[in-house]
Amino acid sequence: MYEEPYRWIEAVANRRNYLDDQFTQGNPLVGVSFAQGILLLTFNRGTEKIYEIYDRIALGGMGHPADLEKLRYTLLDMAHVEGFQRSPADVTASRLMKNGLAPVIKQAFEEIFKAPYIAKILLAEVGATQDRDRLFTINYDGMFEEQREFGLLAASPSIRGCLTQVWKNHSPLSSLQSAVEVSLRLWGIASHLQTSTPTSDSEEEGGTSSPATSMSTIPDDEAIASRIRETLSKEAVECVFLDRESGKMETYRVLSQSELQSFIPSVFQPPT
Amino acid sequence: MGQQGDFLQVLRECGYAVDDLCPPFNVSGPSAHAEITTGTTVFAIKYADGVLVAGDRRATAGNVVMYDRTDKVLELDRFSVMAIAGVPATAFEMARILEHSFKYYRRSQLQDLSFEGKLRALSTLLKNNAPAALAGTGTVAPIFAGYDQLEGCGKIFFYDILGAEFEAVEYAVSGSGSSTIRGILFYMNRWGSGPVAGMNEEDALTFVLRLMTSAAEFDSATGGVDAQAQLYPVVKRISPEGVRTIPAERLKSLFSEKVLNHV
Repeated sequence: MYEEPYRWIEAVANRRNYLDDQFTQGNPLVGVSFAQGILLLTFNRGTEKIYEIYDRIALGGMGHPADLEKLRYTLLDMAHVEGFQRSPADVTASRLMKNGLAPVIKQAFEEIFKAPYIAKILLAEVGATQDRDRLFTINYDGMFEEQREFGLLAASPSIRGCLTQVWKNHSPLSSLQSAVEVSLRLWGIASHLQTSTPTSDSEEEGGTSSPATSMSTIPDDEAIASRIRETLSKEAVECVFLDRESGKMETYRVLSQSELQSFIPSVFQPPT
Repeated sequence: MGQQGDFLQVLRECGYAVDDLCPPFNVSGPSAHAEITTGTTVFAIKYADGVLVAGDRRATAGNVVMYDRTDKVLELDRFSVMAIAGVPATAFEMARILEHSFKYYRRSQLQDLSFEGKLRALSTLLKNNAPAALAGTGTVAPIFAGYDQLEGCGKIFFYDILGAEFEAVEYAVSGSGSSTIRGILFYMNRWGSGPVAGMNEEDALTFVLRLMTSAAEFDSATGGVDAQAQLYPVVKRISPEGVRTIPAERLKSLFSEKVLNHV
């Protein structure tokens, strides 16, 4: 019955609704570039969501753990074979995204007889200088975006548009600590918007949403702080730093809980 | 198969001849038999704070000096090094495969490969390379040294060309200059002022430079120290913090103070 074009389009639209629903309970994930490197931050309920892919590349995911794992392996295989057969310098997030991830995810999404990947992925690559940092995000339908300073995974694209505006007005990031603070605040806003935005905000409409209208929906500071406090008391914050100045080939570093504890402002800390 | 963290399998699947790194050629003449000794000197010794691994920098082809700046002590990851003696093309390729295998395992399995797992990986490569080793065209006899994080100590292993691994209690040597230093090490441990394993870092480094100079004295294929050209052996230190290269300046000052002039 899917031979008829309008049936196929209908099936794809149903798929979008189904997938949008799957992400409403997910944790947003924030990636920011600053002078010392790139910071990725999210919360988890036990399963990690941030992984090392190659010497300068990390992956952040949102969605079903089994799908993320499968896609992670696709990237690991591709990156390591490339790094081995050519050079580690030839492994770039851009090529991993464009040649590796995007075609696989798009194909799975459009083959309506098979299950799609329930996954949104952020690939971050730290460069030798800040202007060479790259953050790629890809949606469940294979559509990807390239950004230099800021990347976000969230349930709907309107949240992303809104957060991009907040990012533009943020205070300058002078240290790892300030990067953690700003990322945490951005996460708080995204998480708050995700639970307060109606789920009917599907990808098709959302893709063109105007940031100006969504700016008005940004929660106040107290609402953000209370969302973060509430989450911190139940879930673990997960934070990875791609250290530009590590002096080694490998840049990936997981920030320890005690280190994070000292970085998180007291207003976000849950009462003990 | 990649799901088990096996990088060799990933390479096989994409058509890389990982089990046949150096096809044995049909060579006739004097080089057609296996030679364990190859033109180089590499060794590892245990000392008070860990392990020192050193290698000379000369690469030879017969009587010809090909190159005087080779690095034969290769870091495989933060905690292990491989010192190579043998046919460079095969040896460097093995090191590259191991480096990527360890990285791939750590990133895919979200845990470090155990020290024993690393030893086995090198052994497998050598075993697969046996035909080339026996033909004399791909002989590699490496030393593997690293810090075993499970047991909390530095360890040294050496291999024969077919892949058998042996743990060294105090030291391991390989290459054509090794017979000279093996004798010195034996003598030092038995009748010297104290065992090499008890030396502090400065004494151990001085000892390493003296060993290398002795090897170069009797083996034309060993580069030794060429102070005039600022050429010092590659020396790496393995400790609980990981692998660190000893800077050439440090070797230079020790060489001029304690090796060049008899003290």
